[in-house]
Order: sequence, then structure tokens, then C-alpha cells
Amino acid sequence: MSDEIKVSKTMDLKGLPCPQPVIKVSKGIKEIEVGQILEAITTDPGALSDFPAWARTSGNEILKTEQESGLIRFLIKRAK
Amino acid sequence: MEKEKKEKLLDLFRSKLDRPMRYYLDVCTRCGICKDACFAYASVPKAQYTPVWRAEVVRKIYKRYFKWTGKLFPFLGESKEIDDETMKQLYDAAYTCTGCRRCMMYCPFGIDTQAIQSIAKLLLIGNESAPEELSMLADTSIEKGKHLELYKASFVQGIKNLEKEVISKWKGESDQIIPLDVEGANILYVALAGAHSIIPTASILNAARENWTLSFFEAVNFGAFVGDPIKTQMIAKRIINEAIRLKVKEVTICECGTAYRVMKHLVGEQPFQVSHIAEVMARYLKEDRIKVERDRIKGLITYHDPCQSARNSGVIEEPRYVLNQLTSHFTEMTPNREYNLCCGGGGGLVALENETFREETGKAKVNQIKETGAAIVATGCENCHTQLNFLKERYEMGVKVEFLTNLVANSLVLE
Repeated sequence: MSDEIKVSKTMDLKGLPCPQPVIKVSKGIKEIEVGQILEAITTDPGALSDFPAWARTSGNEILKTEQESGLIRFLIKRAK
Repeated sequence: MEKEKKEKLLDLFRSKLDRPMRYYLDVCTRCGICKDACFAYASVPKAQYTPVWRAEVVRKIYKRYFKWTGKLFPFLGESKEIDDETMKQLYDAAYTCTGCRRCMMYCPFGIDTQAIQSIAKLLLIGNESAPEELSMLADTSIEKGKHLELYKASFVQGIKNLEKEVISKWKGESDQIIPLDVEGANILYVALAGAHSIIPTASILNAARENWTLSFFEAVNFGAFVGDPIKTQMIAKRIINEAIRLKVKEVTICECGTAYRVMKHLVGEQPFQVSHIAEVMARYLKEDRIKVERDRIKGLITYHDPCQSARNSGVIEEPRYVLNQLTSHFTEMTPNREYNLCCGGGGGLVALENETFREETGKAKVNQIKETGAAIVATGCENCHTQLNFLKERYEMGVKVEFLTNLVANSLVLE
């Protein structure tokens, strides 16, 4: 799980059941500037479809989704 | 507040004024019997936590704009202008009410406070001051329905990741683990997005050799929580369309009280049956389609009736039948069944930032559970499960909160 994208904020959402991860991310993204990147790490499999749907409705952009050892990692760019 | 916005809000109010609603708004004598029925007032005896106070905020607007006395003499009696302060009061009224409808059971006139609060919620949407979290979640659900093709692959991948755990629980032979898109299946199981809502039920359905398929959509209806009738129907329609496309006989809703109530009672007649997973488990046990080892789970077990599936939808005896197959040590809370106290997490409240409110107003439920002496509190609703776990930690209750499905899956006897 490594990359060269500069992350401005990381949210550890491991163990939180749906819909908490997407609620927390929707709030967390407002704490970074437009253009910056939020990293969110979750264990909730529902996030795999919830996060992209949320990003599309909220106008943000998921740059990367990675899965490893039960962890799901999203890199999300605040687009507006 | 601008005139245009006020007119818009009054139009929304008017759209809710059918015959039953006018009755609910007209007949209250403010006897106050409802106050003792409310979980919030039972825990924190403040006037603003009474159903009648919450209803009065809406009722005073009704008197001001929809009754001739208020229209002609707004300065007389108890009428209220729509303004920013009133909107704040509507928010407090609507989002301290879980819509559990226990007050309705005690009201001599059967006034439905949840219906009255649906006006408050609709006005808050019109005022753009409804809880952002609930609106966002409703929009996310609708988006998944509109563009399933964009999310299908990731959902399938997420489900694939769960299969090992299903196999570890259910060791029987089967060519299915978590089936998707099965045309002609008997059951379309509609889960929540989390693994906890899928793995135990998949184990049970497979153990019963059921011909089932998992829905691509989550059951929870955030449109209902935020009180948006159009979004409520759009979210439910995703599942209805899927059920019709697959020609399933039965749509089984997971442990989510509101999702079950919406699908069972609020979307009209459909070409399939609707069941709660507790009903399906009771049926399997009665028909010997699954076997469980009684008392594999140790300790005294009590059951928390979720308001939406029990009081408001009638799933009352099935969970008890299931629990009595699992244990010789079942005990009831008092009161129970349709008179059970709300846990304080319903109506979308568990998704909001209101922990102090939820802790304080959960006290009556905590006392009710403590009095049973139970080691395990079982329930059949996600909101209740989240709130009961929250209360367990805040009040250091020393109990375990369990979903019915998890208890059954952990007691399965596999041949």
C-alpha cells in the first residue's frame, strides 16, 4: 500500500460499521482544501460501493482504491 | 425569512394535510398521557421531550395558517409564524423523536406523533436545514440505484471477500456461498452494507438449502429517516425493481426495522411477499430446515423489540420463538412487545452527532435491561443494535448486545 500521492489527512475508520465510514469521510473531506487528498482506511466491505457513490454525488474524486489483509484504503481528492 | 421561502414551506405543509393528519392536528386535548410513553421523557423529564410538546410546534403553525381563527386573528390563541426561530424548534422537535410511535399506543385519540413530525421533517428539507448526513446518505443510495453498473464490480469484489468467513461458519456442502443475481430465486435477501449483516444470514440460508440471492442494494432507507417521501420511494424502488427483474417469490429484509416497515407497509402491493429475517428463521426452525443446539449460547438472554419491526409492523412472536429454540434461559423485559420502550436510536438518530442526548435519554432503556439481569440483549434491528451497544459502553452495563441472526448462526448444527 504505497504510492507517491501526497496525503493531507488520514482517517482511520477500521472497525466502524456502515454507514459510519461514509459519514465520517463526508465530514473529513471538508477539513482539507480543494485539490488536497484524504486517505481513508476502513474494514467495511460496503465502503467499496458506498464511497464511489458518495464521491459521485458529492462531486469528489476517488483516485485510488486498494485492498490488503482485510483493509480497504481510499485516496480521495477534494474536488469542490 | 423571505416571502417566497415561506410560501414554499406552506405548500409543503399543505401537501401533508390529508384527512388523518388534520385529525391528528385537531383533536389533541393536551391531556399529557403521551408524556410517560416517551423514552426520552421517561429518562429526562423535560417538557420538550414530551410528544405533545413536539407536536405543538407543528400544530401552532397549522393553527396560524390553516385554521380560520389563526388566519383572521393570529394574535389570539396559540399560533406560530413560520420564521427562522420556528424552524429551529421544528428541528429540535423532529430530531428528538425517533418515530417509535409508543405515544400513539397510549394516546386516547390515537394521535400519530410520527406522522406529525413528518411535517416538521418535510419543512426542514424545504428550508435546507435537514441533517446533512441523512440527506447525503439518501443521495448515495439513490445514486447506486441509478448507476448500478458503476458500482457492481466493487460490490461483487467486496462480497467475494466475505465468502471465506461464510464457509468457516457454515461447513456444509453447497455450490453456493453468497449467490448474486439468481433469477427465479425463492428469496432476495436485502442486507446492510456491513459484513455483520451478510455473513450470519448467508450461513443460515445455506444451511436451510434455500434458493436465495443477495441484493445489490442495502436495505436501509435514509430517505425515510430524513422524512423525504420521494427519496423514500426511490430508495425502495431500487429493491422492488431488482426483485421483479429476478422474479423472486419473497423479499427478505435484514435486521433493519425501518427498511422492513417501508417495504412491508409503505410501498403498496408488490408481486412478491415481504418478510423480516426473524420470520424466515422462525419458519426454518418450525419446518426443521435448520437445526440449532439449544443452550450452546450461555447466559440469560433478553430481547429488545425494535419499534419499527415490532410495534409498527407486527414482528413480535417470531423472534421469541427463535430465542426459545436457542436457549432455556430467556427472560422478557418489562414492558415488552408492542409496549416496549424505544432505545433512542431510531429515526436516523444514531447517524447524527447527538451523543449526549442519546446517552441521557437512553437511561430508561438501560434500567429496563438491568432489571432483567440478562447477560445478552438480543435484537433484530441495526439502529437498536448500535444504540444499545453505545448505551452498554456509556453505562458500563456488562451485557453483550447480539443480533438474532448471529445467535442463530452460532448455534447451527450442521449435518
